[in-house]
Amino acid sequence: MAPRYQNRIELLQGTLDLLILQTLQWGPQHGYGISQHIRANSGEILQVDTGSLYPALHRLERQKWISADWKLSENKQRVRVYRLTATGKRQLLSERSRWEQLSDAIAGVLSPAKREGQA
Amino acid sequence: MKFPWHRDRKQEELQQELQSHLHMATSDRIERGESAERAQQAARREFGNAALVEQVTRDQWGWRWLNEFLQDLRYGVRLLRKNPAFSVVAILTLALGIGANTAIFSVVNSVLLKPLAIEDPARVMFLREQWRDLFPSVSIANFADVQRQSTSFANLSASNNASFNLATQQAPERVDGELATADYFATFGVQPIIGRVFTSEEDKPGHEQVVIISERLWRARLRADSAIVGRPLRINGMRYTVVGVMPKTFDPLLNNSDLWIPEAFTTRQLAERDNHYLNVMGRLKAGVSLAQAQTELDVIALRLQKEYPIDDEGRGLSIAPLSTVLLGDQRLALWTMLAAVGFVLLIACANIANLQLVRSRNRQKEIAVRAAIGASPQRILRQLLTENVVLGVASGLVGVLLAFWSVSLIATKGPAEVPRLSESHIDATALAFACGVTLFASLLFGLAPALRSASIQLTQAFKESAGTSSGSRDLVRSVLVVAEVALALILMAGAGLLVRSALLVSHLDPGFNTSNLVVGRVGLPEVGYHDPIVAGHTFERIITAAADLPGVQSAAAVSRAPLAGGGSSNGIIAEGKPFDPASIVNAQLQIISPTYISTAQIPLQAGRDFLAQDTRDTTLVTIVNETLARAMWPGQNPIGKRFACCESGPKGRMDPVWHEVVGVVADVRAWGLDQQIQPQFYLPMAQMPPSGWDWIGRTMDVVVRTQGGATPVNALRAIVASIAPGVPIYRVSTMQQKISGTLERSHFDTFLLAIFAGTALLLSSVGIYGVLSYTVAQRTRDIGIRMALGASQPQVMRDVLKDGVRLTSLGLVFGLAGALAGTRVLSSLLYGVRPSDAITFFTVSIILTAVAFMASYLPARRAMRVDPIVALRYE
Repeated sequence: MAPRYQNRIELLQGTLDLLILQTLQWGPQHGYGISQHIRANSGEILQVDTGSLYPALHRLERQKWISADWKLSENKQRVRVYRLTATGKRQLLSERSRWEQLSDAIAGVLSPAKREGQA
Repeated sequence: MKFPWHRDRKQEELQQELQSHLHMATSDRIERGESAERAQQAARREFGNAALVEQVTRDQWGWRWLNEFLQDLRYGVRLLRKNPAFSVVAILTLALGIGANTAIFSVVNSVLLKPLAIEDPARVMFLREQWRDLFPSVSIANFADVQRQSTSFANLSASNNASFNLATQQAPERVDGELATADYFATFGVQPIIGRVFTSEEDKPGHEQVVIISERLWRARLRADSAIVGRPLRINGMRYTVVGVMPKTFDPLLNNSDLWIPEAFTTRQLAERDNHYLNVMGRLKAGVSLAQAQTELDVIALRLQKEYPIDDEGRGLSIAPLSTVLLGDQRLALWTMLAAVGFVLLIACANIANLQLVRSRNRQKEIAVRAAIGASPQRILRQLLTENVVLGVASGLVGVLLAFWSVSLIATKGPAEVPRLSESHIDATALAFACGVTLFASLLFGLAPALRSASIQLTQAFKESAGTSSGSRDLVRSVLVVAEVALALILMAGAGLLVRSALLVSHLDPGFNTSNLVVGRVGLPEVGYHDPIVAGHTFERIITAAADLPGVQSAAAVSRAPLAGGGSSNGIIAEGKPFDPASIVNAQLQIISPTYISTAQIPLQAGRDFLAQDTRDTTLVTIVNETLARAMWPGQNPIGKRFACCESGPKGRMDPVWHEVVGVVADVRAWGLDQQIQPQFYLPMAQMPPSGWDWIGRTMDVVVRTQGGATPVNALRAIVASIAPGVPIYRVSTMQQKISGTLERSHFDTFLLAIFAGTALLLSSVGIYGVLSYTVAQRTRDIGIRMALGASQPQVMRDVLKDGVRLTSLGLVFGLAGALAGTRVLSSLLYGVRPSDAITFFTVSIILTAVAFMASYLPARRAMRVDPIVALRYE
């Protein structure tokens, strides 16, 4: 447990929203599923804290970017499943492009030589 | 948007959601081969603090503030229920303040603030003449000129008050109304509910036999007959056709008019500049300001002064908004009342604040615990303020109940002369005001204790310090008590001045013998009584018959009995003075039968009374009051002097008709005991100028001096009915009733202010008692130690009393300063007392000191009885 914890990276403010929206793009999913998906797809590096995940889910739901329904899971358990709404899809696009801008900008700052070369 | 009542279900769902998360995490781990027990533990650890996750998620719902508010609210209610003694005292105290404020505000709102029930009232102006420092009504000719020349008004109309004998199926009845020009209704912009208003054709002589009646009269006397339009009414013995009914809210001049008849000025009337009795109302054209209209009127007034110097010399024209003219007199008294109840509320708040400070000290530990487990200062502040709001709202509810009750009392029992007072009731505006006052009060009394508690130092709070008292806390409490005493003193000074003024007025000599005097008014119609000789003869027959009634000593007639309200002002010029307007002295005219002075028992100071022989065929004579004699002939014997008045000789306006003074009588307080005495002269009925009967509308007061038996109302009715059939005698009452009627208003103001002052005194003495009791309780240990060291009981008692005296005298000093500054506004309500009257100030200070001393005595005695052994063992 300890080594993995060291590998954990604190998520930037707002990044979690992007990750959740992105995850839900592949289909409806419950909270636990979302956290597992993010962890698996980040190579076990991004571990989402439940204390951040659920407030984020409920916030996004209030903003009407995602909606929630009670469903039965494969092992016959009642779970709350979130899905992306139409406005959520638009939000995802704009968040993604913003993220790409941001990461380009950071990359530019971190490797100035390359940037000069381009210019 | 979800609403809070879904809250419980939603919370349950959140718990289920988190539970399912944990469940899935655990089963995943078991699938990966961990033991059930380990899997559960690890999943839990990974999950973190479930309660916290739940909490932070809930915060996202956006109800956090509301949740906490509801929580605080429940806690507040529980606290009030747990402490019934405190709650009852606090709620009653505050309810008194809130209720009084709401009630007085409702009255102010309905009398002063509510717009008049006419279209766009701000644009309707009242026009008066201005002569020296008087604002007389307008003469007909001047009105006609203004109407022709001015361009500022969309409508300009005139009316004059009159009362009419209305024939009904029962006895004839006297009804108040107005003669009005055709534009009158358009000026106010109000439509009749049935029928129409006058046409300008009907406002011409010969076509004026039409009448518009009020909804009130229509319902009360005409059984709300829906086919009333076109029906005839007999008014003053003549037939009038009803053309319209005005809504019951329509009473633009606030004089309870029940019918309107066209003015229909004749050519002769339209040239009359000498009599000033028209109400003139104008609606400003759109875009014309009051100042612009006034400027135009100034120009017109100058033109009139040049053109008609005899009548209009020095005469201006002045306009003011209708509401200012109608309601201006009420303003001072009502705002004073509102200020007074405001003071009562402040005192109540100070008391509650003090109580809360005591409680906040007892709750220090509770609050410290709250702070220790993580409540922020803002959170604690919010909780304490919410508790205060709970207290405030409870008091507000009781207060509004009190207000309902007192407003209906004021509306029914209040003085009739205050316009629109009877319409006062608690409406939406008043309720909104009550809510505002409640919240304001809650914050006011709650903020200081709450701030103090929220900023508590944890360590200090846990280190219980029962022995010593903290200085700053006492300071706040002392300041509150000093302020209470000061406010109470200001109120008491105001009430004291009014009471003293009322006492002085009640001892004033009205100038005649008011006991066993009965007065009733009789108005003869023009039809059948047009001839002055017939009119005079009718009144003579009535008083002769009245004098013959059993139990009646004598009877007389007078154009306006004293204290009956109204009167007519005339300009007179003494013989020997230049005959131009600058020499005019304004005096009140009374036309009397020769028996009047002896019947009213007005002391004759010099000369003789009128005699039956004083007729138009002999020298015209007059009797003057002492004030007029002094004003016209200072230092001289007025008997035999002459002055010109009332009519002009055969050679026209500049031909004086002289009246010789044959007697001087004592001054009579004719306009109310608390009113200024004015110059007055009497003319005998038999020498009345021919047009005199028109001036007084053939209406006179019949005055009867009885031997003290029952008031002969029915006998008088029968006499008038037999001598003048179809003519009623109205407003029959004793002179003493009329006097109390004129004083009703000032007594009512005095009564209310005295109640408020009494409440203030009571509340502030409770405040002093509270502070001193608390100090004594807090210092029990100090006192015990001092007594153990040898302090005597009287010494201990003196110390506590000294505290009380210190607070009281500080309050007295501030209060006296405030009262000196504040009571000046009362000066126009006072008679014979200066606003800084030393006796009043001294008396109320003594009363306040005595009450404060008693309030201090109880805690002082308790301090004296402290048993040192018990006190030291305490803790």
